[in-house]
Amino acid sequence: MTDIIADHRVSATLTDERAARDRASRKGVVMQAPLQFRQSVRIRRLAQRSRELAISGKRRLGTEEAPLGDHACWIHIGPFPELDQMPSRVNGYEATGESWGRDYAFLVDHFPVEIHRDERIVGEIHWEMHMVRQYEWPERVKEVGRWAAELGASGYSSLHTCPDLAIGLSQGWGGILKRIKESRQKYLDLDHPEKASYLLGMQLICESVIHFIERHAEQALELAAAETDAWQKQTYLRIARCCAHIARHPPRTYYEGVQWIHFAVMMDRVVGHGNGYGRLDLYLIDLYRKTKSDGELSDEEAREYLAEMFLKLRGQFFSLGGRDAALKDATNEMSFVVLEAYDLIGDYNNLGVMWHPDIDRDFYNYACDVLARHGESIPVLVNYDLMREAELRSGIPEEDAWKVVYSGCQWFCIPGKEYCDQDVNSLNILAPMKRTLASAAAYEIGDFEGFYALFEEELTATAEALRTWKNTQYELLGSLWPEMFTSMNSHGPIERGVDMVDNRGVDYQYTSVNILGIPNVADAFHAIKRLVFEQRRYTLAEVEAAIETNWVGREPMRQRFLNEDKFGNDQDDVDAIFVRITESLARILGSLKNLRGQEFRASLFHFQGHLTPETIGATPDGRLAKEYLAHGINPQVGRATTGLLATANSIAKVDQRKFQGGPMQVELQPRFFDGKEDIWTYIRDFSEVFFRKGGIQINLNIMDLNKLRDAMQHPENPDYQNIIVRVTGYASRFICLSRAYQKEFVERMNFEGF
Amino acid sequence: MATLTCQTIEISRGTTHDGPGLRTTVFLKGCPLRCLWCQNPEGIPVAQGVWWEARKCIGCLSCVAACPTGALQAPHGELVRDPTGCTICGACVEACPSRAMALTGREWTLDALLHEVLKDKEYYQAFGGGVTVSGGEPLGQATFVAEFLRRLQKKGVHTALDTCGLAPESALTSILPYTDHVLFDIKLLDSELHQRVTGHGNDHILRNLSIVAETLRMRNAKPPSNGYRTLQLWIRTPLIPNTTATPENIGAISTYIHEHLADVVERWELCAFNSACKQKYDKLGSPWPYADYDLMDQATIDSLREVALSAGSDPDTLVVSGLTARS
Repeated sequence: MTDIIADHRVSATLTDERAARDRASRKGVVMQAPLQFRQSVRIRRLAQRSRELAISGKRRLGTEEAPLGDHACWIHIGPFPELDQMPSRVNGYEATGESWGRDYAFLVDHFPVEIHRDERIVGEIHWEMHMVRQYEWPERVKEVGRWAAELGASGYSSLHTCPDLAIGLSQGWGGILKRIKESRQKYLDLDHPEKASYLLGMQLICESVIHFIERHAEQALELAAAETDAWQKQTYLRIARCCAHIARHPPRTYYEGVQWIHFAVMMDRVVGHGNGYGRLDLYLIDLYRKTKSDGELSDEEAREYLAEMFLKLRGQFFSLGGRDAALKDATNEMSFVVLEAYDLIGDYNNLGVMWHPDIDRDFYNYACDVLARHGESIPVLVNYDLMREAELRSGIPEEDAWKVVYSGCQWFCIPGKEYCDQDVNSLNILAPMKRTLASAAAYEIGDFEGFYALFEEELTATAEALRTWKNTQYELLGSLWPEMFTSMNSHGPIERGVDMVDNRGVDYQYTSVNILGIPNVADAFHAIKRLVFEQRRYTLAEVEAAIETNWVGREPMRQRFLNEDKFGNDQDDVDAIFVRITESLARILGSLKNLRGQEFRASLFHFQGHLTPETIGATPDGRLAKEYLAHGINPQVGRATTGLLATANSIAKVDQRKFQGGPMQVELQPRFFDGKEDIWTYIRDFSEVFFRKGGIQINLNIMDLNKLRDAMQHPENPDYQNIIVRVTGYASRFICLSRAYQKEFVERMNFEGF
Repeated sequence: MATLTCQTIEISRGTTHDGPGLRTTVFLKGCPLRCLWCQNPEGIPVAQGVWWEARKCIGCLSCVAACPTGALQAPHGELVRDPTGCTICGACVEACPSRAMALTGREWTLDALLHEVLKDKEYYQAFGGGVTVSGGEPLGQATFVAEFLRRLQKKGVHTALDTCGLAPESALTSILPYTDHVLFDIKLLDSELHQRVTGHGNDHILRNLSIVAETLRMRNAKPPSNGYRTLQLWIRTPLIPNTTATPENIGAISTYIHEHLADVVERWELCAFNSACKQKYDKLGSPWPYADYDLMDQATIDSLREVALSAGSDPDTLVVSGLTARS
């Protein structure tokens, strides 16, 4: 059984029918599955270490009081000991790339080098730039931020893009360094000291990375010299040879390729932002095929190198599948290996499989099988063609649009060419809704169309506030917080001497905006349309008063608003209002341009705004002030009563080509599959219909709610310590989440059947 | 021609037990039987009724104020219902803000119902499913159902009829041409017992079953050709404690299927007793004779399965559904 897939992969054309048949006929897949592949003792020990680090809190993201999960790339070991020696503290802080680069290089130069027994993929980090570099937005910027937040627009920029690691994989750090130096010399010759200074900062960063990798080679040699165990000695020597080479040169083998990517991602995370990292199967396929044909790579090794990397990097976003430049299926042997690596270790990861109608059937079947067996939302399933069309619609040319990659919670971008400020900007449309209610009541608006026209005006005001707010930041962002590491693996910054977050550092710089509260506003508008404008049961003034007072003393009225049709049940009227709001968002944001002259784009998702309802108050959908809001474009909890298919149909009504993603979150009870065999086929068939109907992403958890509720009470129980859930856009260990996240998760709508 | 309409209890989407694949099941109102264990009591009359769900009620008593006949009272501040005084005028339903007071079903035009069930057409195709008419007893609204299924077939949708079998032969034969799959109940083989617990003997039911069997034999004997559709038959037997779930009854049905229907039955399904419908009786304000029965346990099911097999049933066609762990 374990070698079904391994055998299959030998065929480059992916048409081994026997293996496909074998896999299709596997019966009786169960939840929380036995892993598909047998773990070696070595991998078991490494996995155990990784788990212990996670559970102990050393991988925590967020604060101790409000942890976001255990998916930090770094391992907490206390504060950076040389903090006081940081160049910006000793020599004075400057908002320049050069100063930023000096700090980065100083930090990395002081990283300890750690190589653990059993490891073949090495390198770990303990601090990131946000912890050590002092920087602050000027008061005048913060003041604009407060004004915009009042209107419902917020968000400080913090990268969230995807570098193109193919650059470094083909040029090596030495090649990149050479380009930086040449470009710096060019700008010195042309008397452009600012650009030359920026490139000096970049040069320092690149050199610190090279030295860091070289230091691993040196230490591995020392360890090898002192080692008596033959296998371990040999392994240290291999590490030494690998690191000595890839410190400057492009990787020559699959092993070196994985180790190169490990360092590249880890050193990118030193900056501390939410980047994705691209199409892992395309990055590695040439090295895989070459090493394989040289007879130097077994299937088991191929899986294990990646598994080791996943255990160390934690939940980084990589993608698989999709199409190539000729728009043919891009699935290759590596697509399988990447999923197998996850299948080998379980735990977690943020892999995304980019489906399209022509995707290799065996690969998509295997992806659904992995998702069904583990039940822990990995991989995420996304609709490649819709992402590509969304990029085309933004104006990205065909020659780049095919490169689109699922890169973060709900978003996607063109690796190395796009800086879109994904996932950090927020437009809370409950704010314009509330203003609409107040002004419509004051003007005594008598019909829904007049009411909606007012809403569009208020929405425009909020969107314009967002534009002002973002442009105020963009004026300073390139000097205040340049993204120089990611810029090294991007197309443009080195030759242009401009950081990717600065004006035209990369070609595509649309501003993406997450939208909070669309289902709540749709439900509210539908109820207002019916009860205020059609039935005339209540006045707008009464509605306004009711939500101002959290419906106190108005329970029958609240019940009326609560019991009107709700979004998520495939009902034409209310869903039409939902779609109309999304269209308004696309049009209004699309009509605004940022400092770079590129449009704003809406993303139909919000990673945690729905968990802070106290800032919102009650809403006219019958929601009480204390209740969580709807999560992204998923129906408000408790309101989807017509089943999974109806909810999927409602969500698929949105024209996703106009947006930057919007996942459907599906939580299933294991009992959903009672008596059913081959449950992966249900996931495959459901997801494919959903995608064909216009859905763009499915996050699927198969979880026993009672177990999760008990895990909240008894996190120390070993049975609960490895439960992974897709929280919002990312996956995390359930027991490592904050109470609020845990509570929200167990209260989510859970389908027990279709 | 007047617009065709039907009365439904409810529409369930994404069902996986009412025929092959993934389906939408339309439960139609009206049933000629009076099974003591009836799982859809609100579906017995064709006409709409009113029921009340305690869980949703906020105690505002708007319904009492709205009731023109005095069928709803609140002598001590709590709602008291007198179903006999209710004229189903719907005033309380309109007055209730929380939908605690509701009609037991709704009316659909043919076009609206088609629109509704076709929303999941792509899922039917992916999962090899379609639309099932159930009830109540769908043959009671045969004119509507025949046209409904005909239109669905024209749209390429697989159709299934779930019937108790008690209906005029003409109703059955008007629908069979537009049916791809029949789910037919054999509850009890002893006609006298059948009379006692359902209000009717089973002679007529078994005659209708033989019509289905004959139709199937004729249809499936034809050579496949363009647009030609075959017919499948599943028999269903509800396992009701001390009533249908006896070795005598299961053995007798098994023998009957073996002797008369072995060539036409694709599946014989034993549907384990469950008490999910108790809340429906509570909403109607009526007692349910089976309220105190436990869910079936695996041992009982296993022994009945054994009886069925030793009486001649094919193990490949016999399935048990609906077994839920006791909680």
